[in-house]
Amino acid sequence: MKSASTLSNAFLQPAGQALPAALLTLRFDRASALADLILPTRKTENWKYSAKHLKLTDDMASTLPMDASAEAGDYNSGYTVVMVNGVVRPDASNYPTLEGLSIQRFGDLSEDDASVAADMLSKSISDQPAKSGSVNMSQLNGARFEDGLLIQLQPGTVLDQPLFLIHHTTASHSGSAYPCILVAAGNNSQLTVVEDYVSSGDCSVMVNTTTEFSVGDGANVTSVRLNTEGQSVQHMGTTGVRQQRSSRFESHSVGFGSTLRRHDLHVRLEGEGAECKLNGVVVTQGTQHYDNHTTIEHVAANCNSEETYRNIAADKSHAVFNGRIHIHQDAQKSKANMSNKNLLLTSGAEIDTKPELEIYADDVLCAHGATIGQLDKQSIFYLVSRGLSPRDAKVLLTMAFINELVEQIPVEQVRDTAHTGLKQFFDQAFKEV
Amino acid sequence: MLSIKNLHASVEDKQILNGLNLEIKAGEVHAIMGPNGSGKSTLSQVLAGNEAFEVTEGEVTFNGDNLLDLATEERAREGIFLAFQYPVEIPGISNLQFLRTSVNAMRKHNGIEDMNAAEFMKLAKEVSKQVDLDPAFLKRGVNEGFSGGEKKRNEIMQALLLKPKLAILDETDSGLDIDALKVVADGVNALRAPDRAILMITHYQRLLDHIVPDYVHVLSEGKIIKSGGPELALELEAKGYGWLGIDDQAAANHG
Repeated sequence: MKSASTLSNAFLQPAGQALPAALLTLRFDRASALADLILPTRKTENWKYSAKHLKLTDDMASTLPMDASAEAGDYNSGYTVVMVNGVVRPDASNYPTLEGLSIQRFGDLSEDDASVAADMLSKSISDQPAKSGSVNMSQLNGARFEDGLLIQLQPGTVLDQPLFLIHHTTASHSGSAYPCILVAAGNNSQLTVVEDYVSSGDCSVMVNTTTEFSVGDGANVTSVRLNTEGQSVQHMGTTGVRQQRSSRFESHSVGFGSTLRRHDLHVRLEGEGAECKLNGVVVTQGTQHYDNHTTIEHVAANCNSEETYRNIAADKSHAVFNGRIHIHQDAQKSKANMSNKNLLLTSGAEIDTKPELEIYADDVLCAHGATIGQLDKQSIFYLVSRGLSPRDAKVLLTMAFINELVEQIPVEQVRDTAHTGLKQFFDQAFKEV
Repeated sequence: MLSIKNLHASVEDKQILNGLNLEIKAGEVHAIMGPNGSGKSTLSQVLAGNEAFEVTEGEVTFNGDNLLDLATEERAREGIFLAFQYPVEIPGISNLQFLRTSVNAMRKHNGIEDMNAAEFMKLAKEVSKQVDLDPAFLKRGVNEGFSGGEKKRNEIMQALLLKPKLAILDETDSGLDIDALKVVADGVNALRAPDRAILMITHYQRLLDHIVPDYVHVLSEGKIIKSGGPELALELEAKGYGWLGIDDQAAANHG
């Protein structure tokens, strides 16, 4: 049997972009902590289904070029910040100007702001070492980020339109990128952030992301995450959220598969009366692999969480959902609702789903449900008996499975992009014979 | 229009139809009655082209074409419509989107341009009123959370929109209260036309009070054992199936 391999030291060498001292120190500490740890294997519980897809060769260790040409994407009309290979590109961006909102790249941070950023990162949920002693892949971002964004909203500040963060990865040769986004939303502020991950080129690359949201009392933050990167991109993303009293956080994610995609979303409801809603859609085809791990921690009392994830797997692809709800002892009157439904389009596709509930309080209302099924023959017959082709009937039924979640995405451009991607998915998954 | 000769069909290796013969001409309304398990629903599923049912013998022609050679969707596009006994619920697709996709599939087949959303909305609203369905139903998921009566009215609404040549109504009266029954019957009567035939499958006579058929057939053990005019339905209502030598209970057990 092959022994577990350690993370190559090549992966712990940043390229050396200028950063404030506080962030350099943090990054150095992270790299030291990761040295000599083993990579996750199938025996690593939270990598059980995905470890075999993780392929980190030394040629992927180098930072992708930070001066690659930048494209603003399709969101020119709105507020956009473009990051290319993890580095902010002000030249391609369109920053909003709003009193009470500051958007700064790490390299430009004052000492004070740098310590705010370092503090958020040091408390980052993504920094939790894996229990098994293996590398928590999200920790790698902290050891390697070259740049990042600190977005701060002063109390009461409301950004009227979504802020698009376009993450472009150039896969014209092997390498990796480590985008890092920190959002600190002050009390009663309001903001919608769209993270759009795209790529060009088809060499093997890794994109390893960290996104941290600190949501103040009464603040209302919506996070939209769209992933349409190419097949050769291994994507490992971590989103951490800390919510204070009476705050609201919504997450809407739409992901298309690749050789390996992984997203860990971890929400802590720390203040009483906080609520979160997490929606996710994943479609995979070919031999793609997609793994969503979510954790919702009810730390304070009277918080609500509602989670709805849907996976559709075609061909020989594989989708994984692991949803954990942890109700702490003091979190009385918690309400948690988790639903994960899965659709297998072929007999060769695989979906694994695992809801986990850990409840330490005695007065809570928790519900969870997970199903895996196939398209219903009677429904297909019903539609075909109305003149639809069998292909159109299957497309319509498959779309019906996720339509509700797509329609709930509060940003029209993202819905449009999602529909375009889904159409391509259906064209492939339901080829006319 | 429709000619069925010596039709044998089975489902899951169980023989249900055993040599059924039936001729239907344009403009006619036929009712098929029979106890549970006599093969009424199997006949409707076979005609509509449900692949779960296998035709083992016999032939069916529709306007001169071999119907059994046509795929389900081709039958629909050629003008065969089945109002389902148990319409399927499809959350996630609006009724409107479903109906427009269906109407446009038929139009495409007939070389007519697609109807745009606004045009279709106007038409759908008109037709929904005809079956006394609130137009708000158009925006809901297909049959999602509809009551039994609403589902049946939705089926009749589809028939009115799709304008089939042959409408097969499978137990469209079951589960309806008297008011809903009347609405459905009015819809079916609105479907009657010189170039359209209607085949009603029913267990009870009461629908036939509102939709008077030209012919009534009694189905038993997969065969038509007696045919007559509307008076036959009344006779069945009065006497039950026993006088025809059918043991209702045994027939039910038969499948």
